[in-house]
Amino acid sequence: MSELLEVKDIVAGYGDGPAILNGASLTVQPGKVHCIIGPNGAGKSTLLKAICGMLPVRSGNVRFKGESLAGLRPDQILQKGICFVPQERALFPKMTVRENLRMGGFSLKDQSDLERRVDEIEEQFPILKERRDQHAGTMSGGQQQTLAMARTMILRPDIVMLDEPSLGLAPKIVQQVFDIMKVMADTGITILIVEQNALLGLRNADWGLVLDLGRSLFEGPANDVLEDDRIQELYLGGKKVA
Amino acid sequence: MADIIQIVVLGLALGGVYALMGSGLSLVFGVMRIVNLAHPSLIMGGAYVAYWGFRLYGVDPLIALPVAAIILAATGVLLYKLIFEREAKSAKYSEMTVLLTFAIAMIVEGGLATAFTNTQRVTSPGYATDAFFIGSVFIPKGQLYAGMVSLALIAALALFLKYSRFGYAIRATTQNREAAELMGVNVNMVGLVSFAIGIGLAGAAGALVSFVFSFFPSKHWEWVAVLMSLVVLGGMGSILGTVVAAYVLSVLAAFVGYFFGATWSVLTFYLALFVVLLVRPQGLFGEKPEMA
Amino acid sequence: MSNIGETSDILAQRKTYNAGLSQVSDKSRATWFPLLLLALLTALPALQLVGNYNYLIHLVLYTLCYVVMASGWNILGGYAGYISLGHNVFFAVGGYFAGMVFARLGISTIIIAPIAGLVAAALGYLIGLITLRVRGPSFIISSLALVMIFRIAFENWHFVGGAAGVSLQANDMDVQWAKLPYYYAFLAMAAFALWASYRIRHSKFGLGLRAISKDEVKAESAGIDTRFYKVLACAISAFFVGMAGAVWGEYLTYIRPNIFLVILISVNMVLMCILGGKGTVAGPALGAVLIVAFNEFFVATLGASAVNIMATGVIMAVALMFFPNGIIGTLAKHRKLPRILNWD
Repeated sequence: MSELLEVKDIVAGYGDGPAILNGASLTVQPGKVHCIIGPNGAGKSTLLKAICGMLPVRSGNVRFKGESLAGLRPDQILQKGICFVPQERALFPKMTVRENLRMGGFSLKDQSDLERRVDEIEEQFPILKERRDQHAGTMSGGQQQTLAMARTMILRPDIVMLDEPSLGLAPKIVQQVFDIMKVMADTGITILIVEQNALLGLRNADWGLVLDLGRSLFEGPANDVLEDDRIQELYLGGKKVA
Repeated sequence: MADIIQIVVLGLALGGVYALMGSGLSLVFGVMRIVNLAHPSLIMGGAYVAYWGFRLYGVDPLIALPVAAIILAATGVLLYKLIFEREAKSAKYSEMTVLLTFAIAMIVEGGLATAFTNTQRVTSPGYATDAFFIGSVFIPKGQLYAGMVSLALIAALALFLKYSRFGYAIRATTQNREAAELMGVNVNMVGLVSFAIGIGLAGAAGALVSFVFSFFPSKHWEWVAVLMSLVVLGGMGSILGTVVAAYVLSVLAAFVGYFFGATWSVLTFYLALFVVLLVRPQGLFGEKPEMA
Repeated sequence: MSNIGETSDILAQRKTYNAGLSQVSDKSRATWFPLLLLALLTALPALQLVGNYNYLIHLVLYTLCYVVMASGWNILGGYAGYISLGHNVFFAVGGYFAGMVFARLGISTIIIAPIAGLVAAALGYLIGLITLRVRGPSFIISSLALVMIFRIAFENWHFVGGAAGVSLQANDMDVQWAKLPYYYAFLAMAAFALWASYRIRHSKFGLGLRAISKDEVKAESAGIDTRFYKVLACAISAFFVGMAGAVWGEYLTYIRPNIFLVILISVNMVLMCILGGKGTVAGPALGAVLIVAFNEFFVATLGASAVNIMATGVIMAVALMFFPNGIIGTLAKHRKLPRILNWD
């Protein structure tokens, strides 16, 4: 099995503060949906930020397609094909939906292709076409999340990392978010998702990874992780609900 | 009636200069979230470049303007590299940068005063004391030229921000720095370039100020509060807002000066600041609270 | 299932981590040191019996005045995190109020000082109601504008002598002892300011202020009346600065806008707190000692005030960039704070 992304023993933290990640590792296989679970403060979001270059990695390494990402800026890592959608969704509130989509292609070398790609996305997500001239800041949470996720597809990246996309959304909308994620996975994008709701996340994923205290605890097929007694006990809140 | 037209004309002419003085400040705040209290002291630096250019070599301040802009932009790059780049990760960023710019303002003021003393200066090209007459309304040439050059520079800045790819990146960074970074914008470069442009505009404004106002190093404190009121009234970070505020308040100040005396004219700016904070803290064109 | 880390090891760590959260850090304090300092300073004027130490007494008095002001500033700027560059307005209001009462009614400013402090506090409360509606940069800007407004107002207010100000009668004591009433007044005020800082820091009110400084939204959702807390902090802060101003005018024998309403006085308050350690009790006092010493050094060696301004700017920039937590804060962070300086 070839690994698309390999994170090995990385240590990272904010500013000159203590390390949040203390030797976390993970491997990402092409075409699958990977879900990272773990308690609050385990370092899940920090891990994603370290991979995309928003936080410096203090030690350990991140290799993408066999190539080290050490010392690269976020814009350079993006160029390689790794997109990140943070919890706050990273939209431009005072730009229209269409302008937000265009910003998604900011790093394209060939800008002439941009309009066509934006059109494609609008076809795929009718709600975005409908709202194209509306300021992103005035949309509902679910629509904003849709825009943020759809926007990553402009670049046709290899990996999209989603940090708690369901946060703050109504249960009905949450399922839509996972549906969009499936659409993305179907186009061949590899997904790495962090989810607070471990059950929900693992059920929608192929591969599960448990993180605690900044280190990787278990990984395995999502179903196996769901079934494991110790994981049940510690992180899924006791006995599994049938 | 003629009096009123006269007051408006004088107010507008001055408003243009204030608009340019404030727009660099607004740009830097928008992109970097730095309240640059040193901006007026750097304008002072630009004024000295124009003053000595004229005094020593007889160079017209309008010709010296690009030189002042370039020298100050280079200063901006230096300040950014030395100070602000490394502060970007600081936890108390906004507070730290305000205090740092305050320190820079003192260093610049002290430096200028050491080099050139606190003597009051003014650049005096022929047009600085000349005027046009339209009927009984007189328009001082110096202020008119300064106001027109300011407008041209602001228009150029607006076009650059609206239509160039780099301008797009600047606007994106202004709205959401982290998001811009995730879209592949090199935000550090955007910060550096906008800082250089902002300080360069301070240099350009300085060249204009040098023949519109008399100046001496410690006078920048008076400008600080005036420019800050423009930026707050306009809505922090909105260049359009700053420009509109500059015109509105300058005309208002001209009226206050006419009816109550020149001493009170400058008070208009400070009081406007308090009224805005009371009535509409986010300013005329201010941002709504950011998305959750 | 693959097993990456040493599972049981990590699980054990999580338990220790959880246990660690409930631990309380112990604090060591040396109360004798500030008391000794107070005793020494009380005895200091005895030097006048053996020689002329007027200059030394002036320097200590000047430092004590700044200890009062910086400690006052620290309550709003350090505890609550609202940086004000306009606190010299309260210095001026206190100074003018007491100075005018002294000039008209002949009551010593030392007696009037607490009332002058209350007048400044009332003004602080009113101003706080307006300016504390905004956070961060807008607040700092509004505080700067305040200085400009008061400067223009006082310079054009004929009742208080406009820009020329009012001169106050010097006391008729022997020149050797003339400074002492003011010296002891400032010493008492400084001790009071530090004691009050300590008490506030250890009160529910102080805790609320620190919560505001960390995260105002969260503080509010935790049930703290942030609006009232901030405004009250501003008033208390103004009280101390106003009291210092009251006596300062009589000490200088005149009140004039340009001794109160110059930006450098505000800068000094801010700088002392930053250099010493914002939000700590000892920080402002330590900062005051250092800045007064620096100023004397620069004036003595370089003379010109322009160079002094530049040097102050350089110190401020260096302190901010390399010791943002101040001396006390930096030492405490590395657990190297000597016990005698731990006044928190």
